[in-house]
Amino acid sequence: MAHFIVVLLDDNRMAKLSGSGLEDKIKYMFGGELRCLEVEVPEEISKKILATFDTARIDSRGAITDVPVAFLRELFNQIAEKKSLGPEVLEAVLAKADEIKEAAAKESEYLPPPDIEV
Amino acid sequence: MSSLLIQTPLPHGGRLVERVIRDKEAAKKMIKGCPSYDIKPTLHYETGVPVRNVYREIMSICYGFFSPVEGSMKQAEVERILKERRLLNDWIFPYPLVFDISKEDYKKLGVGAGDRLVLNLKGKPFAILDIEEVWEIDNPEELAHKTFGTPKDNPEVVKEPFDKKHPGWVIYRSLQPIVLAGKYTIINEPKFRPPFDRFWFPPRKCREEFSKRGWRTAIAHQTRNVPHVGHEFLMKNAAYTGDVEPCHGILVNAIIGVKRRGDYPDEAIVEGQEAVSTGGYIKPERRFVSICLWDMRYGNPLESLLHGIIRQNMGCTHHMFGRDHAAVGEYYDKWATQILWTKGIPSYGFPAPPTDVPYGLTIRPQNMREFSYCPTCKEMAYSESCGHKREKLSGSFLRGMVAEGVQPPAIIMRPEVYKVIVKWWKHFGYPFCNEKYVINKEKELEVDLEDL
Repeated sequence: MAHFIVVLLDDNRMAKLSGSGLEDKIKYMFGGELRCLEVEVPEEISKKILATFDTARIDSRGAITDVPVAFLRELFNQIAEKKSLGPEVLEAVLAKADEIKEAAAKESEYLPPPDIEV
Repeated sequence: MSSLLIQTPLPHGGRLVERVIRDKEAAKKMIKGCPSYDIKPTLHYETGVPVRNVYREIMSICYGFFSPVEGSMKQAEVERILKERRLLNDWIFPYPLVFDISKEDYKKLGVGAGDRLVLNLKGKPFAILDIEEVWEIDNPEELAHKTFGTPKDNPEVVKEPFDKKHPGWVIYRSLQPIVLAGKYTIINEPKFRPPFDRFWFPPRKCREEFSKRGWRTAIAHQTRNVPHVGHEFLMKNAAYTGDVEPCHGILVNAIIGVKRRGDYPDEAIVEGQEAVSTGGYIKPERRFVSICLWDMRYGNPLESLLHGIIRQNMGCTHHMFGRDHAAVGEYYDKWATQILWTKGIPSYGFPAPPTDVPYGLTIRPQNMREFSYCPTCKEMAYSESCGHKREKLSGSFLRGMVAEGVQPPAIIMRPEVYKVIVKWWKHFGYPFCNEKYVINKEKELEVDLEDL
């Protein structure tokens, strides 16, 4: 069964997608409060992602979640570079798995918290 | 009219187990001259990572969460549980609970049936185990399989064979071979560290709290998560069940135990749940948060049985059950818990629901489906009512959003709850449980002990 990965879009990412031809693929969720892209993940690649990143899981929607933040950043970079949501962007991300794991090891030690009052 | 009213249920087994000695002098006398053993965490059989600490089971047994269980189980009792999910006294119970040690430790201790063993926690005397039987686990892998079932033996609900990716299976697979069976008694009450101390409502105290609040009926909500708005709506709507009036209260009971990387820290879970009430989304008079110590076995229907036992012992009349209750992966049918509580699961020893078998439970199930956001209704909508295409909420999706530093919209996570996440994120330097958190937690545990 194919799964999918949600890539959240903030204003900065929206600017990078400008002119990519992907604008009409953008989805609006939760009453328009969230913008995102959905990348379909073929089963073979799903398995590879789950095997490569031990925190990754498939949630109740069939989405692959809990991948490292570095994975998601690279996924967006590849989407913006290749102007595509096809499997080639996922293959390009997996080709950088070692690099992502290295970054993930650092990000699993510390992630800067948002600057909000608590 | 009064016959229509549901009364607070008796504890499972008829009486609340309470095995806690509060008189220090008496405790000292009880342990004089007895051999002692430092409680060790159960380590993953391959990786060596802590996967369980038996102290949590001792706490939950001695304070009555697991009534009528009183201690580490004898071999015959474990065998009966694996076959019929019943204790030797006939009351239903889902899991083997044992005090296991290595052969080397057993040899060093030189104890046997009739001996009293002092169990130390964090270097201080904590509890005693009055040994009635010593037995050996011949094959932990077989024990693990029998504990959870197999697609062949339990075709009604088990979809995939259990393996080392299942944390509950790993716990049983990692047990040490020698079991010291007998009753536990706590002789030195641990003190919970903040913030856990204010959520500690063991069954007797919880029942007293219900009574103080005038709650005759209460519905339990199981959690191991920071709540999103879907959880909040489940609680609000499930509470409409009851008798002639909706349930008087909602008891949130968080399972606190060994963590997996990627989970929210326990501190954020309990305070995040509390924030739903202090934020006014569900009145504090109508809801409170409590904890139970247990290293989750993720046994879906079996875990729901344990949850029913725990919450009946705490005084709840109802328990809400949703999709994939206490589940991980795709080992079980996603509605396995609701199948158990609606029809029973014969291969687990339940030809009828746990409420309709002899020596069963009296807590009533409230099976729920899902809440998700409906862009047409522009509100959170129930899957069985709303006819539109909805946007599913998922805890994992929210975790991803949090990790990327995106504040979830208030329609899916209350800002008060998000602030709690950020509070503990600032404290630990990380929003979720990472390796450092998991290791520290199992070293420090949730409690401290004074000298006896």
